[in-house]
Amino acid sequence: MDAVTIPIRLKYKRWLPYLAVLQTDIRQTMRSWVYRLWLLAMFLLGFGYLLYRLGVHREAGVIQEANLVMSDLLRWVVLGSAAVIAAITVGSISSERGTLADSVLSRGISRYQYFLAKWHARVLTVVATFMILSGVMLVASHFLLHENLSLTGSLAALLLVSSLFFLVASAGVTLSALTNDSRVAMTLLWLALYGGGALLELLPSHHPTPDRILRHLPATLRGEFDPTLVTDVLGYSILASTLVAAIGLVGFSRRDV
Amino acid sequence: MARDATLVVETTRLTKIYQNRNIAINDVTLAIEPGHVLGLLGPNGAGKTTLLRLILGLHRPTAGQVKVFGRRMTPNAADLRRRIGYIPTNPQFPRGMTPIAYLDYMARLFGLPRDIRKPRLASLIRAVDLLNASGDPIERFSHGMTARLAVAASLINEPDLLIWDEPTHNLDIEARRSMLELIKTLAAEKTLILSSHNLNDVDEVCNHTAVLHHGQLIFHGSLSELKGRIRKNHYELDLEGDQKTITKAVQIIKTMNEFSKVQLKQRRLELLLAADASNCTALANVFVTLADNKVNLVSIRSVGQQTEQAYLDLVETEESRGFTRLYSANEAA
Repeated sequence: MDAVTIPIRLKYKRWLPYLAVLQTDIRQTMRSWVYRLWLLAMFLLGFGYLLYRLGVHREAGVIQEANLVMSDLLRWVVLGSAAVIAAITVGSISSERGTLADSVLSRGISRYQYFLAKWHARVLTVVATFMILSGVMLVASHFLLHENLSLTGSLAALLLVSSLFFLVASAGVTLSALTNDSRVAMTLLWLALYGGGALLELLPSHHPTPDRILRHLPATLRGEFDPTLVTDVLGYSILASTLVAAIGLVGFSRRDV
Repeated sequence: MARDATLVVETTRLTKIYQNRNIAINDVTLAIEPGHVLGLLGPNGAGKTTLLRLILGLHRPTAGQVKVFGRRMTPNAADLRRRIGYIPTNPQFPRGMTPIAYLDYMARLFGLPRDIRKPRLASLIRAVDLLNASGDPIERFSHGMTARLAVAASLINEPDLLIWDEPTHNLDIEARRSMLELIKTLAAEKTLILSSHNLNDVDEVCNHTAVLHHGQLIFHGSLSELKGRIRKNHYELDLEGDQKTITKAVQIIKTMNEFSKVQLKQRRLELLLAADASNCTALANVFVTLADNKVNLVSIRSVGQQTEQAYLDLVETEESRGFTRLYSANEAA
């Protein structure tokens, strides 16, 4: 008797393509020279500065307030990292245009999933890297320098700076999805970053602009901060990042690759 | 409606204009049925790759539409692309990946669960003969090896439709032969669209052709239809007999008006028909002359690669039509 073959209906995992791109992109980003350079610069800057302050404290006997050292450090990290984060994020999609993107987008993945995976991967890499390195620096400064850091204040400071990076990374990925050339995307992002930062300073003094957040960091690190302000900044950042990403998502799903 | 459901690919008045500067595809209406092995022909810049990208949803049409498996293809139609296997002209691979990692990545992009994708990628690596290189980084691979890997990637989802953009490009003779044999095997159960510059390849493996010229579809039909379009006007005859009698017979043939060229090289006679001559009448006269002179005919053959000749004739005709193509575009297609 002939065996009857019943075709098996294959069950596809709907979010597996998203996870595949997310995982691969995180790995590829961490292998890129820009990311490694950023990591190295942050590490050398952070621990070099901490050791220098420790030396001043030990040799000259000058008390080094951990909150002041860390706020200096975070301010430099933010100013220096903004440009590097721009470079890391603007190449996420535009640099893959052509046959490399073909080999991914011609498979069973929608543009929405691809964009979301790229966005989440870059944001996650940038924010997680910053949080981990800064967290280690905070712990180190807590033990090495004159201890006046508060746990909640440190957490609030890290969240505030991370929210800025979140927005920068989201804008970078969006520009990458909407432009064909990484250089154009990078120029636009830098213009938006520094131009936007300058424009925000024109707002009334009670509005939390990036510069005001950074200037207020010493007090935040000591635990002297308004929790409502922190949640407001986080809320604005998430809202703005989501809006920016939504523009990228819609734009990318209507573009040729 | 019922007819639509049977079509694998259907394009309707498909047009693609890039940034209002470049017309890449112009009003292409094309239907591909299951089991077709379609050779997409055309010179560089004819729009072949653009057409394939439109079919895959990588590009959005400026006008018209593409339907794949009866449904409209869009950039977000992931479920349709799950049934397609694609190889771009020069496949690029993410850096630092091994064939196993790459095929696993491709399989995950199709949403294939682990218990399906792992055995399948192992079988494919074995099938494309990359078992010994399965742990090596892809960037060290030769053209042939990357081509085989691209083939494996295009088959990982067991697609119903294969779209291969110049699959024999950059391959050596042995790899090209293997690729053509693979295409013949796959053609038994899948629908294929092959873009190629190599007319010999198309002639060998395809049963249908579509010819694009400056973005316009100038021919779409079976390969035999394409070959049937050529005017057979160039023949070679191998003769047997005394050299003097052969020469005498050829002198008589040279006086015939039906031929624009009659040339004898030892015992091989080359005949080129005049533009308005009927090949049957002309050849009948030649045979009579040869018979009268007691010259034996060993063989006769039509010279030139038929598909190539047909293709060149099509392109030449299209170029000579000038403005008239505006009023007879449908007829040409």
